[in-house]
Amino acid sequence: MGSSVASVAAPAPAVEETAGEIDFALIGHQESWSAAAEVLAFLRGAGHPPMPDDEIRDILPWIPPRAVCHVEVGSIAPPNGDRRRGAKARGLYIDSFIPPDCLESGHMHDNLARVRAAAACAIKAGARIVSLGGFSSILIEGNFDQLPARNGTVFTTGNTLTVGFVVQGVRKMCAREGRNLGESTLLIVGATGDVGSGCARCLAPEVKRVLLSARNPERLRKLAAELSASGVQVEIAAGHEHFTVPADLVICAASLASPSLLLKRISPGAVVCDAGYPKNISPGAQIPGVRVFFGGLGQIAGGLRFAPDFHGILNRHPFPDVVHGCLLEGMALALESRFEPYSQGRGLITPERVAEIEAIAARHGIHLAPLYNAGGPIDFPAVTRKPPNRPAPIATAAARGR
Amino acid sequence: MESVMSSSPAAQPAPLSPTAAIWQDVLAQAMTGELIAAMNYTSLAEICNDPEEVADALEHAAGEQGHAAAFAAEGRKMGVPVPSNVGAKYWRQLREAFLRCIAERDFIGCLIVQEIMLESFAVASYARVGRVGRGSLGKTFAAIAAEEAEHIDHAMEILRAERARDARRFDEKVHRLHLDVMTTLAEMLTKECRTGHCEVCHGSCVKPSLFEISLSAAELRGASLQQYLKTLDMLGLPGEVTLQWVAQLPV
Repeated sequence: MGSSVASVAAPAPAVEETAGEIDFALIGHQESWSAAAEVLAFLRGAGHPPMPDDEIRDILPWIPPRAVCHVEVGSIAPPNGDRRRGAKARGLYIDSFIPPDCLESGHMHDNLARVRAAAACAIKAGARIVSLGGFSSILIEGNFDQLPARNGTVFTTGNTLTVGFVVQGVRKMCAREGRNLGESTLLIVGATGDVGSGCARCLAPEVKRVLLSARNPERLRKLAAELSASGVQVEIAAGHEHFTVPADLVICAASLASPSLLLKRISPGAVVCDAGYPKNISPGAQIPGVRVFFGGLGQIAGGLRFAPDFHGILNRHPFPDVVHGCLLEGMALALESRFEPYSQGRGLITPERVAEIEAIAARHGIHLAPLYNAGGPIDFPAVTRKPPNRPAPIATAAARGR
Repeated sequence: MESVMSSSPAAQPAPLSPTAAIWQDVLAQAMTGELIAAMNYTSLAEICNDPEEVADALEHAAGEQGHAAAFAAEGRKMGVPVPSNVGAKYWRQLREAFLRCIAERDFIGCLIVQEIMLESFAVASYARVGRVGRGSLGKTFAAIAAEEAEHIDHAMEILRAERARDARRFDEKVHRLHLDVMTTLAEMLTKECRTGHCEVCHGSCVKPSLFEISLSAAELRGASLQQYLKTLDMLGLPGEVTLQWVAQLPV
């Protein structure tokens, strides 16, 4: 029996066996059926025939939220003698198993129940900080009171670090394309959400004009008033087609019902950051010259390990050890031993908070990921780390006991 | 006059509902399952040492017999006989798996097979059927689902205490039984019977017709596996491990 089969068959440590050892939990879901298929194929193992697509669609919605694997993240900072685990943090990845075709507001009630159940798993496992990934964060950012009662577990949407990486990505892409940010008209789609408003506060002072688009006019007016008070030129509209000038820099902080419609209404050669979730602007939808990149992603220099080894399955990116900023926030805070609900609520992200979480992340070797889009990498770092050479599996509590 | 009287509507059997044949098969599966459960509890009584446990097991056996009778009665109300076949291929395999635990005088193994695996399937599927069955039919399925859930609650206390003594050994036993019993159940619950007739349905396989009574084989399987996973969660087995077990079942 090969070692990979053995590792699949060997029971991972029981949750209660590791209680007290779990620094963080990451709550996520699969953003596409193909991603879900890869996860299930890995769980089935090589010895079983792959599950047909129709069976995956039939079975996945019935899976109750649960831990899928153990996660260990390393820091580049030397261990602090005062801290037991300064150089690494241990966690769990918990999947809410929201079906990929239900990632929309029409399934709010069911999805919220799934995120609540996933949160209960994290609490039961004794996680000290929980990051709400992807759609979970969107669901909970205005509904923290809906989370189950917890004792010693804090929750963060992770949106502050997401904002940090979106803003860093915009700056990097503009520099790469020779754009002068100070001459740019920035459109933010989904501007009143947590990520959108945070990006607006960070970038408004650096651009010529800001166009804010969102569905809620009251929140739009409030954000516009806040930005205008600091001397920024601001326009607001419920739809991006109503602005008086075209944008040459766009942040999509919400998934778009019609990405091609947006792209037809912006300046030729515009830079577009797809920071929505799921990412939904493909290079194929571009008009000539528009440069799309995926925003909000970070890369871990200190190493990321999964048990079982889901490397490249749970983090499907063209570069190694890349993770969404929302999840990285919880990992960074765990490495820093700052178990606090760093990002909660909606519209509270400030440039100062972004700078603080960026500094914490950077201290532990968590930086902006190389840029890419659905077509592949668009940013080749000078030294590309080799993708796994599968890292050694995490020494689990159960394994250590044997 | 007499001939008119004898052919009056009151004397004729009520016309069968268009879905009666589908319900007949659903009831036949349920009744067979209940009879298997009754046989299992009777066998369990034979290996119990404590007179209270013996009485409990026999009481459960009688209860399952009662459920089987209730399903047969629902068939009669509908005007269809409800056959059972405890020797049908999947049910026989499930019974044999239970008897292997009996042969080993493995009381805990018996509880795991009957209360965790078979009852998860029964509770989840009866509850779904209870939602779509009209009148007393739906009420009977829903009421029996609730009674079966009570069994599970009782067994959970015993099983949790057993797991607390040696979690690793307990989990290994559950896994071993899972491979045996849940593989058979999963084959029985596939969306289409690909390995031949189940030997319970009275004609061709009922699964493709379930949509006519607002059910589907996929829904019954999904609900059963979900109930099973939740029950294992309540026992304290690690979710990432049981997820892998279920993901490896045949589809």
